[in-house]
Amino acid sequence: MSTTVIKLPGTTRPRWERAVPVYGVSVVNPFFIGLIVMALLALVLTTYREIVGLGPVSGMNDMFGWGIWKTFNVVVLTAWGSGAFAVGTAAWVFGRKRLFPLMRMALLTSMLAYACGLCLLGVDVGRPWNFYWVFFPWNWNVHSPMAEVAICMSVYAAIPLFLENIPPVLERLWHFDVRLQPIVEKLEHILHKFFPLIIAAAYLLPAMHQSSLGALMLLAGQRVHPLWQTPFLPLLYVGAAAFMSFGCVAGTTMLCCLVWKRPMDREVLDEAARITAWLIAGWLALRTLDLLFRGALITAFRFNRYAGIFWTETFLIGYGGWLLYRSLKDRQPRTMFLGYTISSIGGMLYRFSPTTLAYMPGPKAMYFPSTIELLIAIGFVSIGIAAFLLMVKLFAILPAPAQEWRDMAHYFKFRKPYISWTRYFNFGFFGDIEPKESD
Amino acid sequence: MAITRRDLITNIAKAGVPVAAVMSMSTMASAGSESTQAESLPVPNAAVGLLYDASLCIGCKACEAACNEANNTPEDISGDRLHEAPVDLNVFTRNIIKLYKPTDGSPSSFVKRQCMQCLDPACAAGCPFQALYKESVTGIVRWDGGKCIGCRYCTISCPFSVPRFQWQGFNPVVTKCELCSHRLAKGLKPGCTSVCPTGAVTFGPRTVLLLEAKRRIKNSPGRYYQDRVYGEKDNGGTQALYLSRVPFAMLGLPEIGPESVPSSSLRWQERVYKYFALPALLYVGLVAVIRKNLKGHEAEALEQEKETGLRAQQ
Repeated sequence: MSTTVIKLPGTTRPRWERAVPVYGVSVVNPFFIGLIVMALLALVLTTYREIVGLGPVSGMNDMFGWGIWKTFNVVVLTAWGSGAFAVGTAAWVFGRKRLFPLMRMALLTSMLAYACGLCLLGVDVGRPWNFYWVFFPWNWNVHSPMAEVAICMSVYAAIPLFLENIPPVLERLWHFDVRLQPIVEKLEHILHKFFPLIIAAAYLLPAMHQSSLGALMLLAGQRVHPLWQTPFLPLLYVGAAAFMSFGCVAGTTMLCCLVWKRPMDREVLDEAARITAWLIAGWLALRTLDLLFRGALITAFRFNRYAGIFWTETFLIGYGGWLLYRSLKDRQPRTMFLGYTISSIGGMLYRFSPTTLAYMPGPKAMYFPSTIELLIAIGFVSIGIAAFLLMVKLFAILPAPAQEWRDMAHYFKFRKPYISWTRYFNFGFFGDIEPKESD
Repeated sequence: MAITRRDLITNIAKAGVPVAAVMSMSTMASAGSESTQAESLPVPNAAVGLLYDASLCIGCKACEAACNEANNTPEDISGDRLHEAPVDLNVFTRNIIKLYKPTDGSPSSFVKRQCMQCLDPACAAGCPFQALYKESVTGIVRWDGGKCIGCRYCTISCPFSVPRFQWQGFNPVVTKCELCSHRLAKGLKPGCTSVCPTGAVTFGPRTVLLLEAKRRIKNSPGRYYQDRVYGEKDNGGTQALYLSRVPFAMLGLPEIGPESVPSSSLRWQERVYKYFALPALLYVGLVAVIRKNLKGHEAEALEQEKETGLRAQQ
């Protein structure tokens, strides 16, 4: 069945044809242990927070009621984790099917970012036990942006996003044991039948709650600096989520390819970079027009903190977008990666500003996260990264040429015949399609 | 003189809901020609409130102590562990007297801060599960601990920075002035108004207080800033009304304009989600487009499966 693999570098362009697990690498390494330690520390500190309350563990106060747990771990992380929404919409609604190899990465990063964000939101709110009211729609305050964020986000993460992430798991079960195949195929059939309904919900709900995250600060009125406070805040928030999540998905994929020595598919990456560059251009244009028409642009030329933040984020987003555009010409993965990183950091700053940096509740108001607050925030991000490292090694998430799959089969067949249950293949089945009787 | 007037108003309030309802309806009918949002907003029939005349306040802080007693909150002695001297409203302090004293010798003024009981409260507009709500009869904005998830959005959205979250303990509460609703039910006045020695703060139906405030302005023209009652129209109208000699902004009462914060900022939000029609329509469209695209993709994947001999991936 299997043929000898001869790699001829440079003869053909590598193509991402299918998702292949990262194999032959141990899950547990010093970095992973470090993440687990941070996560455990965060869980211990969380227990402490639940007992003593928010005041002793955080820098939050009467003036700054929201700290980084909301403004970074929820507002920023879910923007980076909007890949399932942004990449998916580009691929399945606007017909950019070349992005398909990135889909599983997008879905996984989204699920983990949302899960970690929502968990920390549960730690951040003071009376989480009252959250059961989410099951009683007549008690919702439907016009409240906060209700929309709370309801849409949890529903989205719990149902459509979770279901979208099922296929890699089913696929692993299919390859795990021949005896499981009939039932897995049946489940896949059911899932595929409902996929259009699930996916449509998975695009509508994030569009709604990402815009509501922007609408949150509308109610704060004059207390958000005019450079940020605009009726277009919801739209700008969705836009920022779109280009940031492209950066997160494509950037993470590039980083993974670099770490685990996988070839990069230039066509897919170019497509993603092109879309991101245009998204950034459109976003910057919208923001500039909004500032011009509201007459707030003048405040950007004052010498103060707010003008500094504004120019920093505009520069980062704009420069990142320009680097992405340039990477299409000079064909340097380095430029592209830098472009994604810089634009994502700029977007992060933008999403962070209205709630924290440009939020002016009073003349003497001060907020800086405390050590425990930072450790918990980092810990909950660590959980996400650790889960990601585990998932890409257990399931077929990262895109690779089809040859990689065959290499993996060989690796397990000849190098590790004594595979433990944590590995991808077991029971001596190697994933090649075996001729069925009906064929 | 002031005392007797205050007693009169108090007695009207004590006489209860029916009288107040009749009075407010009759005054509303006679009210007037110009229509602002403050008047188009539904004012609860028996809307009660406070009238605070900063020019009469002597800063004795008796109302602070009375507030603590009425609401059974401990004295905030966090300053020097000796005197009750809170710096600002906090979870123990629902009512505070502050002093505005400019260094250039221009007029100074005390100011009493507590919940403004807005006609269109931003805290209730933002509250996800209606834990903060406006009582339909008295118009008092109240907090329901059984529905509050502790998100602290009220502390962000309130334009007057009033609601306070309890930072200590595993079962935090949100506190704000609720006009001593428990005392009103017993026929008593709110704590702060029951002890004020100069009549700087009085309790009564909003319409009566508004007439009284306008009477004071009329009797001494030029005494009050802009001859204006803060809260008549500000932020769409509030049930706590202010008179002052110094600009209201100096007392921490922002110039918001006659349109309330929720109605000006959430206008589009309400339009887009009206009857949930637009999202529903979008959903149907998305399903159609995605179904078509997925079908094409499935065919391609099967083709690739035959080509490579590897099982297709969704």
